[in-house]
Amino acid sequence: MKLELNDIYKSFGTKEVLHGISFSVESGKALGLLGRNGAGKTTTIRIIMDVFRANKGSITIDGRPFKSSEHSVGYLPEERGLYPKKTVIEQMIYLAQLRGVSKAEAKKNSQKWLKRLEIQEYETKKLETLSKGNQQKVQLASTLVANPQIVILDEPFSGLDPVNAQILKDVVSELIAEGRIVIFSSHQMSYVEEFCEDIAVINKGEVVLAGQLSQIKKEFGHNQLVINAENQTPEELKGALEQQFGELLKVNMVKKEGCIVERNPGITSKDILKRLLETSINLEHFENYKPSLNDIFVAKVGDES
Amino acid sequence: MKKFSTVLMFELSNYIKSKSYAVTTALIALLIAVIMFLPRFIDMSDFLGTSDDTTQSADGTGTDESSKDSDDVEKVNYIIYDQAKVFESLEPLKTSFSGSEWSTADSAKEVQEQVKAQNVEAGFVVKSATEYEYYVYNKSLSDMDMSIFNELMAQSYRNSYCDEHNLDIKEVMQLVNVDVTGEEQVLGKDMGKSYAYCYILVIAIFMIIVLYCIMIATSVTNEKSNRSIEVLVTSTTPNSLIFGKVVAGTIASFVQVALILAAALGGYALNRDYWGGMLDNVLDIPANVLTVFFLFAIAGFVFYAFIYAAVGALCSKTEDLNKSASGVQMVIMIVYFIVLFQMSNIDGAAMKVLSFLPVSSYSAMYIRVAMGEVATWEIIVSFIILVVSIFGIGWIAAKIYRMGTLRYGNPISIRSALKSLKDKSAE
Repeated sequence: MKLELNDIYKSFGTKEVLHGISFSVESGKALGLLGRNGAGKTTTIRIIMDVFRANKGSITIDGRPFKSSEHSVGYLPEERGLYPKKTVIEQMIYLAQLRGVSKAEAKKNSQKWLKRLEIQEYETKKLETLSKGNQQKVQLASTLVANPQIVILDEPFSGLDPVNAQILKDVVSELIAEGRIVIFSSHQMSYVEEFCEDIAVINKGEVVLAGQLSQIKKEFGHNQLVINAENQTPEELKGALEQQFGELLKVNMVKKEGCIVERNPGITSKDILKRLLETSINLEHFENYKPSLNDIFVAKVGDES
Repeated sequence: MKKFSTVLMFELSNYIKSKSYAVTTALIALLIAVIMFLPRFIDMSDFLGTSDDTTQSADGTGTDESSKDSDDVEKVNYIIYDQAKVFESLEPLKTSFSGSEWSTADSAKEVQEQVKAQNVEAGFVVKSATEYEYYVYNKSLSDMDMSIFNELMAQSYRNSYCDEHNLDIKEVMQLVNVDVTGEEQVLGKDMGKSYAYCYILVIAIFMIIVLYCIMIATSVTNEKSNRSIEVLVTSTTPNSLIFGKVVAGTIASFVQVALILAAALGGYALNRDYWGGMLDNVLDIPANVLTVFFLFAIAGFVFYAFIYAAVGALCSKTEDLNKSASGVQMVIMIVYFIVLFQMSNIDGAAMKVLSFLPVSSYSAMYIRVAMGEVATWEIIVSFIILVVSIFGIGWIAAKIYRMGTLRYGNPISIRSALKSLKDKSAE
């Protein structure tokens, strides 16, 4: 299965908030939807879920028009909420039945997911009596209770402690391994890096970067090096490099682990290394720059506030 | 349909499992049952007005049971200044005013002073054979003193007249109070009989709508305030959700009313003799009227329940509900009062119009059936209009519910909600 968003536009009143969002995701893969607060991630997800209607553009699945109500979709909304006065199992069965699952299967699935998320002891407890983290896990279990083929998680890690986050990570990995389509938005880049083969970075209602994460990293790090010295701080090293190596390189960034420099046209890494060894700089680190997703994200949307 | 029944069963279980619903139903039913049994254990004849005692009789022809133990009862004091010398003694006054003690005054001023000082219950100043003044400090709603005194004065005048003209007072009285026997045969509808139960049923359906529809609105608003609404609208259709909620609320409401009514009827049936049959008039409702009442009451309830559900979808907090629902409540109140006032003009144009409007037919049509002239086709047409309106308003309510899904903050006005429905971009 391949889910595609093609040139989606959305306005609220006279304000256009999405200006042609396009991306795609396939079965057995996860797409990380990234963006700053208010970038349009949740609006995009709500359009997929038919909570909002797009003004223009289309959503297709395997080339045919996609309507969330006609497919098995598990959706964890950003605005968490269930029935606080009802027991955990009651509301999970109810939600599964609403999604077309029989009562017996709904009960079986509910118990399976409660066990998988290690909250089976709360099965008959009222939701309001659970901690916030456990309520979040119940919400996730409710999302998955109908065994959906498409899973959409809006900020799934927010509010989870490291132990619960690890459980969720394992579950998401299993969903991907089982061949489901997984879309999730998050501010936590490490999770996205861990699961997602593809990413789409949304900024101010536009996709500013999309594609395979490994390819993006490769392209983003192209022509760049990380240099660090034993006898100098990164700031001191930056000064020295700009003063002595201006014709060979340009310092792009100063990080804790060293200076990120870009080779000038026609200059090789070998040229730079040779010159560095001739100076008093005691090299500690010299390698090709492999940017983190965080670096890419900050570089793409960080300075446009 | 399956999802509708899933929502219906879930919502119904919410009501039934709710402690407040169960406790309210049990308590009210129990209270009413206890009230129905009260006359069996406590003498409530005075309260119910079923006492056989003839307490007052101006012409002295009644039997005064209370006089037997009048010594045990605290006497009520009266004062009289008989300026015109109408009464030769105070005995007729004592007899007519049960359990009374009379004293005489020397002037009208003294009567006033005694009444003002509350030494006596009331006072009379007789100015002529046909003219007197009555003085009382605080006049109660059930004050019968003047009517009793009027009869005494008239009797005294008749006696004097007969004496003067050599007439036999007994003959005259027989002539005046001749016994006429008449037998009533109502071939159509007896408004006198149906008025009581119609009046009670108008109040009952008004109460049911006002009390229970807000429960449905609260259930919708709760889903917005606990943020579960987004999960729900992405799991099933708004139509299933809103129709399921409204039908569940209707069933829960009428089940509660039926249980309370059963307690009242059962309790009354077991204690009818102790009540002296005084509620027979209220409970003796013809089957055709009852059928029309229930059909229109349920349909009218559902009609308003959809409106309340839509109002619930416009609010994010239950505290805002009453304010947002005030417009609908006003319509219900206006219908209620107009229908009550028009009960005395049942075949008038106003009642005819009201019996066809979906906002008022739930109340007006069955009253026309009970008290007025109404053709069968009119009932059918009115009911069809009401049912079609239910689906229309249900469809609009589902749209508003869907539109209000992610609108949090201040309540949305019905006007701006309807405007938003026209504007596709707001979806």
